[in-house]
Parts: sequence; structure tokens; C-alpha cells
Amino acid sequence: MTNPNAKTAALPYNRSRQAREAETMLDHITDDFDDNPPSMAYFYDLFRRAYCRGESIEREGVRVGTTCIHAPEELIYAFGATPVRLCNGSYHYDQIGADFMPAKSCSLVKATLGMLSSENAIPKTGKLDLIVNPTTCDQKKKASAMMAGMGHSVYELELPPAKESEQARVYWQRSVREFAVRLRQLTGKKLTRKNLMAAMAKTSRAQVAFRTLHNFRRKAPSLILGKDVFLVTNAYFFDDIDRWTDAVERLNAELAQREKDGFCAAQKKAPRILFTGSPPVFPNLKLPLVIEQSGGVVVADETCSANRMLYDMTSVDEWLLNNMVDSLADKYLKPCTCPIFPNNDDRIRRLLDLAKSFAVDGVVYQTFAGCQVYEMEQRSVAEALNKAGIVMLAVETDYSPDDLGQLTTRIEAFLESIKTRKRKAT
Amino acid sequence: MNYFAGLDIGSTAIKVALVDEEGGLAGVHVSDSGSLFHKNAKAALGLLLERHGLVREQVKYLIATGYGRKLFKEADDSISEITANAIGAFEVGKAFGGVRTIINIGGQDSKAIQIDATGSVSNFAMNDKCAAGTGRFLDVAARNLDIDLEELGDYHFNGKGVPLTINSTCTVFAESEIIGLLANGHGKEEIVAGIHYSIAKRTLRLAKRVGIEDRVYFDGGPALNKGLVAAIQDELQRELVVPEHPQTTTAFGAAILARSEFLSGNA
Repeated sequence: MTNPNAKTAALPYNRSRQAREAETMLDHITDDFDDNPPSMAYFYDLFRRAYCRGESIEREGVRVGTTCIHAPEELIYAFGATPVRLCNGSYHYDQIGADFMPAKSCSLVKATLGMLSSENAIPKTGKLDLIVNPTTCDQKKKASAMMAGMGHSVYELELPPAKESEQARVYWQRSVREFAVRLRQLTGKKLTRKNLMAAMAKTSRAQVAFRTLHNFRRKAPSLILGKDVFLVTNAYFFDDIDRWTDAVERLNAELAQREKDGFCAAQKKAPRILFTGSPPVFPNLKLPLVIEQSGGVVVADETCSANRMLYDMTSVDEWLLNNMVDSLADKYLKPCTCPIFPNNDDRIRRLLDLAKSFAVDGVVYQTFAGCQVYEMEQRSVAEALNKAGIVMLAVETDYSPDDLGQLTTRIEAFLESIKTRKRKAT
Repeated sequence: MNYFAGLDIGSTAIKVALVDEEGGLAGVHVSDSGSLFHKNAKAALGLLLERHGLVREQVKYLIATGYGRKLFKEADDSISEITANAIGAFEVGKAFGGVRTIINIGGQDSKAIQIDATGSVSNFAMNDKCAAGTGRFLDVAARNLDIDLEELGDYHFNGKGVPLTINSTCTVFAESEIIGLLANGHGKEEIVAGIHYSIAKRTLRLAKRVGIEDRVYFDGGPALNKGLVAAIQDELQRELVVPEHPQTTTAFGAAILARSEFLSGNA
């Protein structure tokens, strides 16, 4: 389905609305702060090329779009194909996507659909050979038919409704094997132990680089700001994985040097914030940016566009093909802290652990209007955090820029109250 | 003598408060925000100084707050209106035996703030980007009913029937709901009371989110509306502390902070 509103083709790319939206956000990320790490230049440039200038991100072979972190990317790599995460953060595409979904749906789902229906979609990753849509939340489930209606080839990867039972585990392992069969049809290749091992080595190298970056954020005063880390993890959605890993390793080396030099990326007393809830996806880095523009620093996150996507690693018992596939399946189900699962105490445990080990002063909980599961977990998360003496600010927002004034007031007041409390405690 | 100022640039009104060296309130001024926030804020400060026979140089420290706080570059510092409101209400509330919960209804926001025994903000909640239940809502409603904003309180108490129910939580939808009620021949008095109760119910939900502790302080422009005060008291089932100048509590809080920043040598 072509979108009747897409008249941007005649315009030079950088004048299109989606490009200018991305450019404004990048300008804020780079210009509103001093001392950006020089090795972040790779990522700033990557986003400028892909989002503002509409340059193609070169890809070889079969491209498989993914709509969620539940799609096992190692399998996709093992078949010689490349995964591209499609979750979109653009307000421009959010508005286009409103044609497909009810008005009160989640911005992320709307923007993803809006992007997929556009002729001039960014980032430019080329035509997708398949979109794998894990059956997670209701809105994503129902998006399958709409994506198919746009002419995309869609594969529904069946996720069980719970994650704890043995039944769920077996169900999911079968789903993942079925997915491998589909990938075999798509690529005409066979899944071998060697290919899968190579694919797993590739993602595990990326994950190790991420963990190193993640651990640097424990340091106080901070060595790097959260807005940069969100940009790094967002680049993972579409960048070449090896090139991405190299760039993160260079960034890590620079942070190690910063640590030696006693460099401070934020003031010593800057409130340290743990970010959780609906994922910040470029260019919608509105809320993390407001936190850091107001003098806070995001030191850790529990979101599916960063930590939840990259932290948990595969653990294999026996390196036999079937066993490896099952272990992969486990990695994508067991540690996941998505609120779609009925029992999600793991999320609370993880938040408490992050809050403690990263010396967090407060938690900011983002819920996209229309994402009911995140809204429903808000209360239990707040109660658990408050019981542990950690304050939490819940914010409901979406991709539109019109609540920026109120968001700023709330964030500033939250940071001021943290500072006052700390001052009185000492 | 030295003075310290708090300048609260809100969406609808600009409020200025001056405190003297002892921390006493020396004067307040309220004027419309209009569209030229910066120019009007400067004029408001000038007017207040002139009225008290003071010159700008006597104001040793000025803190801006409110929606337009970042626009006023002449300020020494800025602070969010939630923190400023807490400081102001804590100070004014002392005369009433101390307050712990603040309900503030402004031109386009409504907030509930909980403060601890030392006056620090311990929790707060704010409406999400929607003018329902705010001063703007009253403004629109008064215009629909063809009455002055100041008359809303009188209409509230003059009703003979039961307050009507206004279900819409959106200002725009509520507007058509009000027009619908008028078209059905309902009295303005009952509609006004209904509007007040609808705001009161939303306010109660907001306050419950932060937890209601005694005493509850109510400020912001709409606190001048006696009908609304009565409706909120009814919904809360307790008395509200309404200060003499409900519009300027936040500006006063910013002025108090300006004084303490200056005296503690942070300036």
C-alpha cells in the first residue's frame, strides 16, 4: 500500500519532515553538551547519513526486518541473512501510522507501520525480504496483517503468553525451530553447527562490547552521558554488526582513558537516573535528553532499545546444533523483562539490582500513551522501588513534541527534589 | 534596604513577589502573560518596584519560575514551579499550623505536591498534557455560558437543583457537552456547579496519587473561585487552606529561595 501523503519524493531529502526531525534531535544531542566523546563521531555521523541525508546503509544478501527483541538474530545471521530492527521513533511516521491503528495506540507501533508504508523510509536499509513479527503485545500482533497488506512478507513468530512454565519453554523452542525452517526456505541455505557458532560469536562479541560500555556507567562522576549510550544502542538496530562492535570498542577505549584522566561527563552531584519503561528510539530521545539538559545523568536503563536488547547472553550446555538452537530460544524468553508477561517480578529484581549497583538516585519510568502493559506495571514497580527507598517519577508521553514544557517542569522538579533530599541527608 | 524577587511566568498570568531582608513579604503583583512573556514579565516587575518606590538595583537576587522561566535571561537563577510552590506553601502554611499536601491549579496545569516535615518535595503528580481540570477549562466554560470568570463562584452557590454531571475530561469535548446542556434548557447555575465538581473529581484523583496528608493547601488562580473551593472540599471531605493571595504563592516561594541563596553566599 502506498501512502497518499508521501509527497516528499520531489523534495531534496534533507528538506523532508522526517529528515528535519532527525536533524533537530541530533543537533540537540551534539550541540547542547560540551565534551562529547570524540569516538561518538562515528555514531553521530552514522545517524546523519542514514536519517538526515537518506544515504543507504549497505547490506548484502537477504534482509530480515524484526519488530521486537524476541526475534533470534543469531539464526538470521547463521543463514547468511542480515537482521534490521524496524521499531521506529519518528513523530512524522507516527502521524502516518495513525491511519492504520486506533487513535489511542502506542506511538512506537504506529511509527513502525507509518515507516513501513512510506516510500521514502528511513533509515534506508533497502527492501526487506521478510519481516519477522513476534506475537508479543496486542498492538504488535495486529500489526502483522497491516504489514502484509502493505505488500510485505510477514512471518509471525509465536511467543507463549507466559515465560516461567516448562510448557511455555517447550512451546517457544518449537516456535524458534519453525522459524529456522522458514529462514531455510527464504535463503535456500542449510543451518549448520559451524554457521550458527560463527553467528553466535558475532553477536556475543557485540554483547561483550555493550557490557563493557554498560559497566563504565557505574563510575561516579559519570564518564559518558545516557543520550550518547542510547544513540549507540539505537545504531545497533540497523548498522553492520561488526562495524558497530568496532566502534563501541573504540568508545570503550576512550572511556578507559577518560577514567584514567579523571574526566567528568557530568557534575559530581548530578542526580543519577535509571531509565525504564517504553523504549527511547531515535529520534524520540525526548525524555532522556530532557533529563540530561536539566542536569541529571542517565546512568543505566531497563528498556528494550538498550539494556534488555543486549545484556543477556546465550548459555549453551552442549555445542550440538539442536542444543544450540534451544539455548538461543531460552535466551530470548527466560531473561526477558517485557511487561507482556503475566508475572514479571524479574523486572523489579533487575531494577532494584541496577539501582543498587549503579548508585542510582531516582528512576524515571516512561510509558507511551496507549501502551497499557507498561502503565499497568507502573504501580507495582513504584511500590517496590519506594520500599527500597528509591524515588520514581512516572511519565506518560508519546512522540509528539507538544508536552515538552510540562515534561521539563516535571523532570526539573524531580531532580530538584532529589538534590534537596541529598543535601539534607548529609 | 535590599530586596529579593520571585518571578513566576505562568501560561496565563505573570506573578511577582518581593521579600525583604527579614524574609517578610513586601509586595505582590499579578498581570496577564499575553504573548510577549519576556516584555510583560519585565513590565510586571517594573510596576511592582515603582509602586513600592524601589529601583531595580535594590533587588539583589531574582529567581524565575513557571512555564516561561527560561525566557527571562535577567534572572539570577531559575527553578521549577513545583519546588517554588512547595517552598511558598510551606512558608505561608506555617500560619495555619503547617501544610503537607498542596493542590495547585494553574492556567494549563494542575498539580498535587506532597511535602515532608522540613518543607522538601517528597512526591508530586501533574496532569498529562491536557488542559482538562485547569484554569483554561474554567475560562472556556465561562465563555460558553456567557458569564464572567469572577461570577462562577456566585453561580455555584445560587443553584437550586443538583449539580449536573460533566463527563468529558477533554476541554474541547466538555465545551460541546456544556452547549448541549444549555440547549436542553438546564440552568447555568447547575452547569457551573457541575463543572466545579468535575474539576474537583479530577483534582482528587491527582491528589490521591501523591497521597493526601493534613493539611491541604490550595493555590493558583482558580483558588479565588469560592465555588470551586467548596466543590473540592466536598470531594476531599476536608477543609482546604486557601491563602490570602493564592496566585502568588509560587512567586513568593521563588523570592524566599532567592533570599536564602543570596544570604548563604551561593549568589
